[in-house]
Amino acid sequence: MKIVKLKKSNLHPFLQAASQDAELWAPVRQKNNKHSFQPIKDFATIDLNYTRTILPPRKLFLPPQFNMFQASLQGYKEDFSHVSPKVIFGVHPCDLHGLLIFDEFHRQNFEDPYYLKAKENTLIFGHSCWPDDKCFCQSTNTHLVEEGYDLFFSELDDYYLVWIGSSRGDDCLRLAPELFDESLSEEDIKGYIAWQEKRNQAFKLKINFFAMPDLMELRYHHSLWEKLGQACLSCGSCSLVCPTCNCYNVQDQPLLSQDASNIQRCWDSCMLENYSAVAGGENFREKRSQRLKLWYTHKLQAYISKYGKPACVGCGRCIATCPVDINVFTVSRALEGEEVEAFWNRLAKEVNP
Amino acid sequence: MKGKKLKIGIYELTGCAGDALMILNCEKELPAIFQAVDIQSFLMAKSDNIDDELDVALVEGSVTTEKEVEELKDIRKRSKIVVALGLCATVGGIQARFQDPQKWQENFRQVYGETKMELPAVVSKPIDAYIKVDFYLPGCPISKEQFLNFFTRVVKGAPPESYPQPVCVSCKYKENDCLLKNGLFCLGPLTADGCGAVCPSHNLPCVGCWGPVQGGNWTSEFYLLQDKGFSREFIKKKMANFAGTKLSEFWKQFDRRD
Amino acid sequence: MKVEKKTTLTKNPFLPDPARIVRVYPLTQDVKFFQVRLVDINKALAFQYHPGQFAMISILGAGEAPFSISSTPSRPGLLEFCIRKTGTITGAIFNLKENDLIGVRGPYGNGFPIEKMLGKDILIVMGGLGAAPLRSVLLYCLDNRDQFGRVILLHGAKCPAEMIFCQEFQDLKKREDLECYLTVDTDDTGQWEDNIGVVTTLFPKLKAINPEQTVSLVCGPPVMYKFVIQELLKLQIPKDQILMTLERRMKCGVGKCGHCAIDYIYTCLDGPVFTYWDVIHMRELI
Repeated sequence: MKIVKLKKSNLHPFLQAASQDAELWAPVRQKNNKHSFQPIKDFATIDLNYTRTILPPRKLFLPPQFNMFQASLQGYKEDFSHVSPKVIFGVHPCDLHGLLIFDEFHRQNFEDPYYLKAKENTLIFGHSCWPDDKCFCQSTNTHLVEEGYDLFFSELDDYYLVWIGSSRGDDCLRLAPELFDESLSEEDIKGYIAWQEKRNQAFKLKINFFAMPDLMELRYHHSLWEKLGQACLSCGSCSLVCPTCNCYNVQDQPLLSQDASNIQRCWDSCMLENYSAVAGGENFREKRSQRLKLWYTHKLQAYISKYGKPACVGCGRCIATCPVDINVFTVSRALEGEEVEAFWNRLAKEVNP
Repeated sequence: MKGKKLKIGIYELTGCAGDALMILNCEKELPAIFQAVDIQSFLMAKSDNIDDELDVALVEGSVTTEKEVEELKDIRKRSKIVVALGLCATVGGIQARFQDPQKWQENFRQVYGETKMELPAVVSKPIDAYIKVDFYLPGCPISKEQFLNFFTRVVKGAPPESYPQPVCVSCKYKENDCLLKNGLFCLGPLTADGCGAVCPSHNLPCVGCWGPVQGGNWTSEFYLLQDKGFSREFIKKKMANFAGTKLSEFWKQFDRRD
Repeated sequence: MKVEKKTTLTKNPFLPDPARIVRVYPLTQDVKFFQVRLVDINKALAFQYHPGQFAMISILGAGEAPFSISSTPSRPGLLEFCIRKTGTITGAIFNLKENDLIGVRGPYGNGFPIEKMLGKDILIVMGGLGAAPLRSVLLYCLDNRDQFGRVILLHGAKCPAEMIFCQEFQDLKKREDLECYLTVDTDDTGQWEDNIGVVTTLFPKLKAINPEQTVSLVCGPPVMYKFVIQELLKLQIPKDQILMTLERRMKCGVGKCGHCAIDYIYTCLDGPVFTYWDVIHMRELI
């Protein structure tokens, strides 16, 4: 793979050139010091000193709510208004892996045109990161990336090493070739290796993912699930912030003064009570514990069994989000049989001492 | 629209009339609404009201007088579909927070003294305490978008199936940081969605004004808030504010545990 | 920068095809029979499916839901559905009349493994609305009668008025190449001439079954499965020759919306037909 060098002072001029005909999206600091991918008008608002955004970048491909088509008795009119040319800058390795899983999912079996069109119109620029106490991408083996980006920016002292991951990424560089340095010095390489080693040591959270499929199976009827179900607020946050979740609902929204409807697609969550309910009243997952089992089967077991890698990319969003501490970390520890310090555990002791 | 226009009645019982006002506030859509249906009775909007057979009755407000009980039963008798419009009609509203009849008497006396009431008052209740309700459209007040969507579906003959979700879902759509996680007293997980998470989007915790969401985990959130340092009395008071009569069972179980 | 808005040429799997209701009549008090034809005649003739597959039906202003196809691919051109009025969408379908338009997309799901059933004895056990998907395979077997061994039908309903396709199945009893047994839980008419009792009470009436040679197809209300499967196991029919078709919530039919997920299986792609062995080793299936 081709690697070039970019001085930090040249970053904004490059982004300017790369996003001439597209909307640039990058992490921006929001209220409560949390970050979010936002459209950028002023480069100064880009904040690369971030760990995770509240929502993963999949929101830029299939937004929380959009219209798929308009239906009428005359026929159907496709609606792709959620698609526009975009450049997403600052995507971390875990999220790039999330997007890869998301990509594979929407291509397999039946291709999803709403995803594909958005993907075709998007350039993805990755960016290196530093783990905090909630990151565990080393355990999911998603702390490094080899694909899934057009360009990847590794941040070192006052420059970036820029990996070129696609032909389109290469075209981007050619828009402003004078900003890049093609020759890397021995020092640059050593600097990168040293940074890499230091980063590898920085991960505090570790999860033994490859033990999880067996443990999920062995502890499928364990009382742990009742404890989790007792505490779960069914708010859906864990799945809505997860980079590899994809569930959605569809609503027919008729227009008052025409014989036509907008067919709207919106993010759904398997934590919601009626997620598995069918017409006539049967609900296959009425209990919260059953719904939690479905999500964790998906994240910790099923995907590993099928693809050899977990459907979790270690981004730590469920840890950062769940108000009652039900997350991949606490659940995996509990599955290993450990006593976990978490609200759901305290609640269990309080309610049934 | 093909066929005959649906006959609609919009009624207000005890409440602030905010929901009826919100319908009138759909200014852009009003011509289409009046064209799509035959509004027979709508006290806030017109004078020549006819109280006859209806296809759909939208009822706002809670029931607080004996006269309203009779009115409501009459509306039910005349209507094919009855919709509870807004929080008061759905759960009883803020005025239904004190359900203990004795305590209610005390409060009543405190406010009105020995004044003789022309309309004998009863403990405030949601309309489903007296009649069968076909659909609920909560909110304090209802949201324009939710109302128009629901109303259009009703007009087209296919009222939407209920798919209960808490405020948190919209809150995440808006990419807000979780206020509850940050230690704030947020009732989002217990509250029916429909507002589009308007308060949390402005960094204000949810107070629950859409009423309880079906399947909300009150026990867990109660202990969670306690875990975060709020007193039991404070939590109870805040939770009761917009939950009306729908939490009576929960409180009974809870008090037993106390 | 060259990030122009591009167009992909893939067909949009979420767009239905307009279809016209050709015939509609009630089967029971709350089940109606719909015969529909895709408006585009080429598409109508090209709509190829297997017995046991389903289609997504949409009603303008109400929404979309999955329904088993009750017709057989051996009689192409028309699609048939039995629909019970249970919610908003089915309620809206019930209001439709002949000549009205609906949306149809599909076919989806795996369907019954016809190739593996060729030459075998086919034992079909249906209860209530379970007849909807199984009628397709029954008619298929009868239309290709020489390709199968014995064809046995057990059909149960709560009462005579609740039996869907009652007349059709009564007529089938006259066929000599079909062993057809009908039953009702209770007879409130005094006119019922067949068996009275739950569907399992029909098993003793069967002529000797060669279990290795038999494929059994089961569909009915959840409570029925347990008892019927006990009977089939008693007959020593191998677990992977007992096929059942399941119902799940679905919003897409094409493996995207997630609602029908069980482990890493999607009922809409890998089902709705599963073997009893699948059911045993995959939790949550029934």
